Amino acid sequence: MGPVIRKGKAASGVTIAGLEFKNPVMTASGTFGYGAEFAPYVDLGRLGAIVVKGLSLYPRQGNPGPRIAETPCGMLNAIGLQNVGVDDFIEKKLPLIRGAGTHIIANVFGETVEDYMEVAGRLDRAKGVSAVEVNISCPNVKKGGMVFGTDPQEAFKVVSAVRKSTRLPVITKLSPNVTDIKVMVKAAEDGGTDAVSLINTITGMAIDVDRRRPVLATATGGLSGPAIRPIAVRMVWQAAQAATVPVIGMGGIMTARDALEFIIAGATAVQVGTASFIEPDAAVKVAEGIEEYLSRNAMSIQDLIGSLRVA
Amino acid sequence: MEIKSEILYNDRVAGGYFRLGLACRFPEAKPGQFVMLRVSDGLDPLLRRPFGIYRTLGTFGRALGAKGSPSKMKGIELLYRVVGKGTAILSGRRPGETLGVLGPLGNGFPDPAEGSSVVLVAGGMGIAPLYLLAKRLGAGTLLFGARSKAENVLLKDFRGLGLRIKTATEDGSAGIKGLVTGLLEDELTPESVVYACGPVGMLKAAAAISEKAGARCLVSLERSMACGIGVCLGCAVRTKEHRGEKESRFYKMVCSDGPVFQSEEVDWALL
Ligand SMILES: Cc1cc2nc3c(=O)[nH]c(=O)nc-3n(C[C@H](O)[C@H](O)[C@H](O)COP(=O)(O)OP(=O)(O)OC[C@H]3O[C@@H](n4cnc5c(N)ncnc54)[C@H](O)[C@@H]3O)c2cc1C
Ligand SMILES: Cc1cc2nc3c(=O)[nH]c(=O)nc-3n(C[C@H](O)[C@H](O)[C@H](O)COP(=O)(O)O)c2cc1C
Ligand code: FES
Repeated sequence: MGPVIRKGKAASGVTIAGLEFKNPVMTASGTFGYGAEFAPYVDLGRLGAIVVKGLSLYPRQGNPGPRIAETPCGMLNAIGLQNVGVDDFIEKKLPLIRGAGTHIIANVFGETVEDYMEVAGRLDRAKGVSAVEVNISCPNVKKGGMVFGTDPQEAFKVVSAVRKSTRLPVITKLSPNVTDIKVMVKAAEDGGTDAVSLINTITGMAIDVDRRRPVLATATGGLSGPAIRPIAVRMVWQAAQAATVPVIGMGGIMTARDALEFIIAGATAVQVGTASFIEPDAAVKVAEGIEEYLSRNAMSIQDLIGSLRVA
Repeated sequence: MEIKSEILYNDRVAGGYFRLGLACRFPEAKPGQFVMLRVSDGLDPLLRRPFGIYRTLGTFGRALGAKGSPSKMKGIELLYRVVGKGTAILSGRRPGETLGVLGPLGNGFPDPAEGSSVVLVAGGMGIAPLYLLAKRLGAGTLLFGARSKAENVLLKDFRGLGLRIKTATEDGSAGIKGLVTGLLEDELTPESVVYACGPVGMLKAAAAISEKAGARCLVSLERSMACGIGVCLGCAVRTKEHRGEKESRFYKMVCSDGPVFQSEEVDWALL
């Protein structure tokens, strides 16, 4: 007799930090707005989770334009973390998606450790937020703009501070702009993180050769999209080998097959980012494709996570 | 709404200008709205491209085979110019193939106040989003600026809509020699409403001339876009708002807050 084919839906459910996700596909922060904007295009209830735009203590205006530039198979962005601020999010945006039938994960950032703590603390009291994702790829004003996420000590400080200010599960979102990702995984775990997610965008630059000026107003920006996928897969693989907590992988996922690479490399879940700009329902399609793969191969997602065989 | 639309035609109008007919059942599109087109299914170019809706097509004259009852099919027409990688690929797409279309998007042109005289100002390809507006108004003046006479073919559809048309070319091969904004001042009274679409320099000049004449001016802006639906925050333009003495400046998104803006709210220094 052949193997028992488990029903796709149940087979793709995952648990991270005690939270059950109906499938392993989330939207990536900054690429799905505050969720409600996508309701006309996507059945939000079919997503594993919605990760909302990065939230700060006060509203932020963001950078002057041009803020985006297309590059081969990718895009650069320097949005400048424009957002409505944590209070407006809780009051005006959260009620719009609270009943959507999926987990809502609030992505947070700050310019000081105290900012991070305060934002996470306010979210702790908000009804409908399932977890916080801490974006440590943010300049630390007290350290002359050095990015928290490139210094293990600073990353540890942020994560442990957030850990103390909320009862919600904490996911630490790692920056790829480091030499050894394992060191950063360890720092986040020491800080008490419940999971790590990676990769954030890779610092890049494009130049308009006719004007001999940078294309972006800020000169450099973050590269995302399929162009970064092989780097992301490599880093997720390395992180998963070092991590004791679950890993959430992302970077250039356009299709289910792209997502499967991350899961096989060791990710328990994935996030879909830039793809949602191109196809608003990309994340749902990825989730469906993963379910199809699992039922076709008569596997559960648990069988697949980290199933990579090297050599 | 995101839909796969069949290409009905994709014909060269002149030079690098093309007309693209797409079968899509959009709810009635408003003048000034746009769509995000996926020019190919590949990864390069990765992003969709924004194009104004040139006009809406009623029931098609030609049969569409078994795909749908022709009487129910509606469509839109886009007018575009090949300027780079994405538009070059688009110009090679053939009737019968399908394209991903997201739209209609953005806020279109507001109607003019009762009794105002309308002046449309277009620079080159900027004429595209003005057709639906001109048709709806059925009166007023159209000022069209181009590099040379050849581009005046873009005016063909506008003749017979009840507009007065004046042209300017940079090389003097048709109409007055110079920029289209050189025609604007003489047309304006404080009761005028100006609708402008074209290069930033033209919009800036049209805004300044209109404001000086005490006329209202609406401009349709262009920015590089990734999503077209207000979520990537990539297409920001800085705007200013006056509340009494206080002036505050903040960013608006061309795709979801625009693409049409009041000229006074735009911070032109940053464009
Ligand atoms: C709201 C709106 C309506 C538009 N309507 C029309 C129209 O009706 N007809 C038409 O021909 N063109 C229109 N454009 C401009 C059109 O989107 C660009 O010409 C096109 O994106 C260029 O793509 P490309 O790959 O050929 O050029 P490339 O230069 O190779 O594109 C590179 C990048 O720059 C962006 N880009 C380049 N030029 C422009 C531009 N002028 N505006 C915005 N983004 C740009 C592209 O989106 C792309 O991300 C409109 C733009 C906007 C924002
Ligand atoms: C326009 C844009 C805005 C983003 N904003 C945020 C943000 O606010 N917080 C964050 O942690 N990551 C942000 N990201 C990073 C994405 O969440 C994701 O890590 C990255 O884009 C890689 O995935 P992708 O290639 O699938 O887009 C942003 C990415 C883009 C393209
Ligand atoms: S194009 Fe994404 S916000 Fe306008």
